Amino acid sequence: MTRRRLAVAGAVLLVAACVERLTAPGDCPDYCPSGQITIVDTLLTTSISRDSSYRGYVLAYQSSVMLAAHLPSATGTLDSRPIFRINGYGSRFRISTTDTTTGAILGADSARLQLYLVRRDTATHNLRLHLYRLPITIDTSTTFGSVVPFTDSLRSVNIDTLLAQPGRKDTVTGDSVVVDTVNHRLVLSLKLDSPTARYVGTDSGTVAYGIRIAADTLASLALGKGSFGPVLQWYIRVDSGATPGGVARTPGTLGAGFASFVFNPPPAPLDSTLAVGGVPSAHSLLRVAFPKFIRDSSQIIRGTLFLVPAVPARGAPADSFVIEARTVFADFGAKSPIDPRLGDTTVIHPDSTRTVKIEVTNLLQLWAADSTHPTVLVVRPQAEAQFFGEIRLYPSVAPAFRPTLQVTFVRRFPFGVP
Amino acid sequence: MSRAVRWTGGRAVGTAVVAVTLLSASPPVRLSGQDSQFGIRGLGTPGRWESVRSRSTGGAFGPFDPLSPLMEAPLADIGQLTATAAGGTSHRDVAVGGTTTALRATRFPLMGVAGPVGRRVAVAAGFTTYLDKSWDVTLRDSLLLRGVLQRHTDELTSDGSVADVRLAAASRLSRRIAIGAGVHVLAGSTRMTAERRFDDSSFQRVRQSAEVRYDGLGVSGSVLIGVAPGLSIAGWARSDNRLRAKVAETTSAITDLPRMAGGGLLFAPSPSARVAASAVWRSWSRAGVGAFDTWSWSAGAEFGSRRMPIRLGARGGQMPSGPGTKAPTEVAGSLGTGRAFAQGRALIDLGLERLERRGGGLIERVWTVLVGLTVRP
Repeated sequence: MTRRRLAVAGAVLLVAACVERLTAPGDCPDYCPSGQITIVDTLLTTSISRDSSYRGYVLAYQSSVMLAAHLPSATGTLDSRPIFRINGYGSRFRISTTDTTTGAILGADSARLQLYLVRRDTATHNLRLHLYRLPITIDTSTTFGSVVPFTDSLRSVNIDTLLAQPGRKDTVTGDSVVVDTVNHRLVLSLKLDSPTARYVGTDSGTVAYGIRIAADTLASLALGKGSFGPVLQWYIRVDSGATPGGVARTPGTLGAGFASFVFNPPPAPLDSTLAVGGVPSAHSLLRVAFPKFIRDSSQIIRGTLFLVPAVPARGAPADSFVIEARTVFADFGAKSPIDPRLGDTTVIHPDSTRTVKIEVTNLLQLWAADSTHPTVLVVRPQAEAQFFGEIRLYPSVAPAFRPTLQVTFVRRFPFGVP
Repeated sequence: MSRAVRWTGGRAVGTAVVAVTLLSASPPVRLSGQDSQFGIRGLGTPGRWESVRSRSTGGAFGPFDPLSPLMEAPLADIGQLTATAAGGTSHRDVAVGGTTTALRATRFPLMGVAGPVGRRVAVAAGFTTYLDKSWDVTLRDSLLLRGVLQRHTDELTSDGSVADVRLAAASRLSRRIAIGAGVHVLAGSTRMTAERRFDDSSFQRVRQSAEVRYDGLGVSGSVLIGVAPGLSIAGWARSDNRLRAKVAETTSAITDLPRMAGGGLLFAPSPSARVAASAVWRSWSRAGVGAFDTWSWSAGAEFGSRRMPIRLGARGGQMPSGPGTKAPTEVAGSLGTGRAFAQGRALIDLGLERLERRGGGLIERVWTVLVGLTVRP
C-alpha cells in the first residue's frame, strides 16, 4: 500500500516536472528588461582604399565554354568564334574486332558532329550556325586575326528552323537537335557527308573546325566543351585487302583535343577604373580599413558593398552575369590567394549603370571573428571567362563615386544590469 | 535491531532514494522559486523560504518550522538528523494589455539537511531560492533602418536564479527560549539571451548571450519564545549586503539588498489543532528605482494528527518591484496535507496554492502544486 502511494506520488512529480513554458508577450516598458538591443547603421565612405584591377586570370582556352557572338553596336561589332581541333585515329585502323590486323584508312563515308549549346538567347530569331574547316595547327596561341576570315565553309544550319522540324530532325540534311529541358541546353547533331567529312590519313585524321553564328538580331551563345562536346563520330572505310573499296567501320566517338574561342575586338585595356569580368577575366582588389569599433562590436548583421559603375556594363544584352565578392587568405596583390569559403554575389545586367550592391555580411563577420584575416575584398566574375560581360567601376580615387561599405551592427547587450 | 525496525528503516532509505532521484532529475538552474512578470524589470522574484508544510498554511508556520529556512531558532527542536526537499509546478495565467498568456514552470526551491550536534545545539545547511530570474519575453516592434521601417521580433530570456545557501545553528537556552543564527551565501547564475529576428532576411538574426554570475552575503538571527503552554512567539531579522552581478569577470551591477524582519505567533490549543500567524517587512527599496519596501502577512492552521494532518492558510502582501509608484500586491490561499511513512522516518507533504498578483495593469493568477519529501534516517 505504502509503495503504491509512493509510486503514485513519484509519477505525479515526474509528470509535473515535464512541463516548462515561460515565453510571454512583453508589455514594454513596464514588464520588459531594462536593457534593449541597440542597432547601429554606419556608412564607411573612406574605408576602402588602395584598390586596383588585374586581368588574365582565366583565358579563353581555359574557359569551360566556347563563346560565339555576333553583336553589332555603335562602336563596332563583337565577333567571337569557337575553334576546336579533334585528333583522329591515325592512318590505319583495325579491320576486324576479332584480331589486331590493321588496314589503311581509305577515307570517310561521313561523320556526325555533336555540339552542346549550353546557353543561348531564346529571343534571338533565325539563329544560324556556320561550320568552317580550319588549319589543324590551331592552338592556345591562335588569335582572331590569324584564322579570320574563315574561308573553308562546310555546313550551315538554322537552329530555329531545325527546332521547328517534326521530331526536330531534318530528313534532307540529316541534322537533328535534342532539347534537354532538365539542363536547359540543346544537343545539336550535324551530319557531314563525304566531301565535307574528309579523313586525311597523313594528318592522322585530325580535323579542326571553326564556328561563326548569325541571327536577325544580336546573336550570342555558348558551346560546351570537355564533357559537353564537341564530339565527332567518324564513319570510315578501311582497306581490308579483300574487299574492293575497303570495309566500313564505325569507331568510337572522339572529343576535342583543343577547344577555345577567338574574338575581336579585344577587351579595352585596364585604366584607373575597377574592372570585373570579361575575357580574359579581370578581378578588382579593394583594401578595407575595417574600423576597430565595428570589429569589436558584438555582431554584424548586415554589410553592403556599394560600387558605382563608371560606364554602362558591357556584354551581350541577354547575358546578365554574376559577380562575387570574396576575401583573400593573404594580400599578395594580383596573386592573392582567394578564400573560397565565403562569397557574396550580385547580378550585373549589361548596359546598366545602376549602383552595384553586394551583400558582404558573411565576409565582414569573418573579419570580425578573425582579426588576423586580411581585410581585402576581391570582386570577380563568378563564372570566369564564360561571358563577355564586363563592368567598370569607380575607384577610391574618385571621391564622389568611390566604393563604400554600409555596415549594420549590434552593440553589446547590457546583460546583468537590473 | 528487530526485523520490523530494519524493514521500516529500509523503507525510509528507499523513500530517501526516491526523493533524491526525483528532486535531482532536473538541472541545477531550475532550482528556483516562483516566477513572476513583476520580477523582470527588477532584481527578480523573491523566493519563498518555506517548506511545503509551511507554505500549505500560507507561510504562517514558517517561523516555527525547523525545515523552513526562514528562522534558525526552531532548529533547536529538530531532535534528529532530517533532510528535506520540495518541488512545485506552477500554472500561471498572465493578463496584460488585453491578452492572457498561459505559462508553466517546474521548480525545486528548497533542499536542506539539519540535525543536532551535542545536547543543546543543532545545525542546518541547505539552500533555497533567494531570487528567481527565469523569464522569457517576446516583443514585436519596428525601427527605421537604411531608410526603411524594418519590423522585427525580439526575444529576451533569462534562465536561472540566485540561491541562498544557508549555514545555520540554533540552541535552546531554556525550556522557553531558543535562539539561532545563520550565515547566508548568495550565489547563482543566469543564462541570458537577447535575440532579434527581422522580417527582412537581408538583416541577419541578432543573437547575443551571456552568463551572469551573482554573489552576495547575509546574516540572520532569530529567537523563539514559549510564552505559555501551547503559545509561542517568534522574531527574526536578516541583513544582506549587496548583490554583485558579473559578466565574464567584469562587474556589471551592484545592487543593495534589503534588510528584513519578521515575527509570528503559534497557538496550539490541543495536540490536533495548531494555528499561526506571521508578518514580515523587507526594505527592498534599497535595491533602487522601481523597488518598494514590502509588508506581507500570513495566517494558517493545521488540524489532525501529525501523521496525516490537514493544512490551510492565507497570505497577502506586496511585491518588491513593479511599474508606477505603488507596489504590486499579492494574495493567496493554500491547503495541503502530509503523510508519514516508515514509523515517521519519511514524510510526504502535498500542497495546493492559488495566488493572485495585481499591479500596473497586470494580473497574474497562479495554481501551484507542491510536493515535499522529508527523511529522518
